[in-house]
Amino acid sequence: MLSEQILKTSKLTKRFGNLTAVNQVDLEIKKEEIIGLIGPNGAGKTTFFNLITGLEIPDEGQVIFKGTNITTMSPHAICKLGISRTFQVAKSFTEMSVEEAIRVGAYNRRGEEEVQNKVDWALEFFELEDIRDYKCSDLGLSSLRKVEVARAAATEPELLLLDEVGAGLTATELLKLMSELKRLNEETKITLCVVEHVMQMVMGLCERIFVLDAGELIAKGIPSEISNNQRVIEAYLGRRSYSESSSTG
Amino acid sequence: MNRKKNHNLENLLLLFFLVIALFVPLIFGSNQYNILLVTTVLIYGVMATSWNIIGGLAGQLDLASFAYLGLGAFTSSTLFIRFNFTPWIGMILGGLVAVAFALLIGFPLFRFRIREVWYALTTCALVEILKVVFNMWEEVGGPVERFLPYFSGSLYHMRFGSYVPYYYLILGMLVIALLVNSRIARSKLGFYLKALGEDETAAEVLGVNTRACKLRALVYYAFLIGVTGAIYANIYGYVHPSFFNGQESIKIAILGIVGGRGITYGPLLAALLLVGTQEFLRASLGGEVSGLYLVIYSVILILVVLFKPSGIATFFQYRNKKPAKQEVKKKSVV
Repeated sequence: MLSEQILKTSKLTKRFGNLTAVNQVDLEIKKEEIIGLIGPNGAGKTTFFNLITGLEIPDEGQVIFKGTNITTMSPHAICKLGISRTFQVAKSFTEMSVEEAIRVGAYNRRGEEEVQNKVDWALEFFELEDIRDYKCSDLGLSSLRKVEVARAAATEPELLLLDEVGAGLTATELLKLMSELKRLNEETKITLCVVEHVMQMVMGLCERIFVLDAGELIAKGIPSEISNNQRVIEAYLGRRSYSESSSTG
Repeated sequence: MNRKKNHNLENLLLLFFLVIALFVPLIFGSNQYNILLVTTVLIYGVMATSWNIIGGLAGQLDLASFAYLGLGAFTSSTLFIRFNFTPWIGMILGGLVAVAFALLIGFPLFRFRIREVWYALTTCALVEILKVVFNMWEEVGGPVERFLPYFSGSLYHMRFGSYVPYYYLILGMLVIALLVNSRIARSKLGFYLKALGEDETAAEVLGVNTRACKLRALVYYAFLIGVTGAIYANIYGYVHPSFFNGQESIKIAILGIVGGRGITYGPLLAALLLVGTQEFLRASLGGEVSGLYLVIYSVILILVVLFKPSGIATFFQYRNKKPAKQEVKKKSVV
């Protein structure tokens, strides 16, 4: 049961002109896992998320979610099926209050009678009750990111894609966010897929890690394997010989 | 807590306005010209309130309001003139024709993701195109005014000897427009519209079918204005292609923005203040200093945009801003 796969991509490819942003990526995500997706800048992580959530249509390959081919479906239909996401640059509803923003997400699966319960649950879970009446434009970065996660979680997805939620947070805020995400995964059985640059967060949170470089999947495995993988180190730091010659030169 | 207080204040203000509005004909009743002026102000109020659905809540800068007004007017009046058809049903049909046209235009517009300034330009062009079409379409429009048959008082033909019944008719439309507005604003559709108005991509991944929601908003808007258009033709007693008025369509959008986007009674407030002042000044100063009313109108407009860009209606809204600012400070320190 635990190893049942929820998302599968096969030969997923996306090109922008001459640049192949995502190149023949095959990966599987299992139910209730916490997956990390890492890679240097421009590795194609965000494009990969866009392909899964329907914001961009791949040139080749397929995305299968719970046995349904969602490759060409529109984002709102994919959300109805059970995938939601957050954005790298927070896309907040600035004119809305925190509560209203979460309500938009909660309407995904709840009618008018039940929606308030869901909103209250999300506010409580992410400890946003004190700021529920604040306008989103008045919030600081860490609250804003939390609201965005709460908003996406309120749609009651089965798979939640988090695009750099940790970026720009302080160490304490990061630890708090990590424990909340872990709790979310345990209590609601939501599968999480985390794109992150902050290694502390990836290594501490994720059960399995995929590494993308220049659009290709170069490694996958548990965190300890990844941190010792030669190709991953090369992708991040360059080849040893090169770094030596450049330091002497 | 805050929001409840807000709603009570809003309702109280609206109720106050309605009670005064009911008695207006008793004050101006002896002077038909004044009644017509007040009715004109209310027509702008209805149109701006309807515009609030697509322009305020959904954030689409629609500049085609008089296209739907004209369609409603021509549908009802043509049926009236040619077939002696009662405008009471004609106005519903006028609304439906406006809706059909809105769907015809809205579907491809939203399908091909025309938004922001491009949406504004397209809808702006729409009014002008319809004006030309109706100028050339001799069977229905043509360059000469088509007058509605005169009756000194016929309920069946919606022709009255006085402007007072029209005034109440438009007031009724205004109440309907306000109710539709506030119902939408508090429903799922309203939240979805506000969300997509701010960020369509963010709304989509939260399960909002942005295309369908925008179309629904457009339908409500077109229907309300289409029906108003039929009454409009009856008030002035004729139809003419100049009903498709691009400049006045922009004015409706201005009223909606100045009043406060997304606030139910905001556009009405702006219409009362701006169009009210304008019509009053035109009537009282028009003979002496022609054009002065436009100067004063513009000055008021500039003042509002400068000092209250979020809208006149926000004067009556309080949201606790202080703690929010403190929170921002705290974050920046950490």
